[in-house]
Amino acid sequence: MTTATNTVQANSESNVWEGGQAPFGVKYGKLMMWYFLLSDAFTFAAFLISYGAIRFTVGQDIWPEPNRVFDAFPILGHGYPLLFVSMMTFILILSSVFMVRAVQEGHQMNKKGVILWLGFTIIGGIAFLSCQAWEWTHLIHNGMTMTSPISYEIGGHGSGAVFVGPLAFGQLFFTITGFHGFHVTTGVVINTIVFLNVVFGTYEKKKNYDMVEKVGLYWHFVDLVWVFVFLGFYLL
Amino acid sequence: MILSDQEYQMHKAAVWRATIILSVVTTVEVGIALLYDTFFHESGFRMALAVFMILATLVKAYYIVAVFMHLKYERKALAITILMPIMFLIWLLIALLMEGVSWHHMIEFYG
Repeated sequence: MTTATNTVQANSESNVWEGGQAPFGVKYGKLMMWYFLLSDAFTFAAFLISYGAIRFTVGQDIWPEPNRVFDAFPILGHGYPLLFVSMMTFILILSSVFMVRAVQEGHQMNKKGVILWLGFTIIGGIAFLSCQAWEWTHLIHNGMTMTSPISYEIGGHGSGAVFVGPLAFGQLFFTITGFHGFHVTTGVVINTIVFLNVVFGTYEKKKNYDMVEKVGLYWHFVDLVWVFVFLGFYLL
Repeated sequence: MILSDQEYQMHKAAVWRATIILSVVTTVEVGIALLYDTFFHESGFRMALAVFMILATLVKAYYIVAVFMHLKYERKALAITILMPIMFLIWLLIALLMEGVSWHHMIEFYG
């Protein structure tokens, strides 16, 4: 009888705040993951908006062209603007899609499905980090560090004219993509822990795959941030 | 919460649709970004492309949050508590970019 009354109340939005039930219809852990991500969004926004302010201060004329800075590809060499970072973007988006599939299979209580898709997600994350390691190494070898500014040839090869950008470009690039890469790294570690728990049947015993859903939210957030990093550094 | 087979197939279809939209928008964005080289000094054209890039990025952000993070299917009250604070960031963005333009003018003016 009591259960039936509660069910009726849960259906009407006006009564959900009177106690005895979850007003947002989600469990505590998932709600707190959302609020953590909200705070993390503020941190990333502070970084990216500062980037915008400094870029406007310096002015477009002496700001480096993304097409010239990010034009290298492993083995192929220079002359392929944005190709490598586009590949990185697709890797991260696909990894995010695999994670959605893992969460869906978790809802179906399909252990094998979760193992398959979460495995793909982790591989995608490691692939992204490897690409970022290559990109950083390449840029540092070309002279862009936290203490030395970006530079590249202008006016065709062999002309001798060199463009030297502001020091802030490299500093912002390494701190922002570094902070994002740090999130990807922790994401891969947490995903691996959850993956092992799935394999050992921890969630099968608990009779829910809520943990996959929570790390899933974190993983999508990392993808979401990358979309904005991609906008700021490579597209504009 | 085990879904019926029909619902499960529907959710799967929504995810693949979102994937295709994200891929197409990203490809178009990168294609257009390559035009910057050709039209480097035409600032009006550049501004139009920048507006397009920002709108396209917001479309991508919508699909990631609504479909991948499942926020579209959650209760409205939850979505509001998460999205409302984001409004402050719009103010911060406008304020700091205007500040950047002002600093730029000051540097040009005073040298």
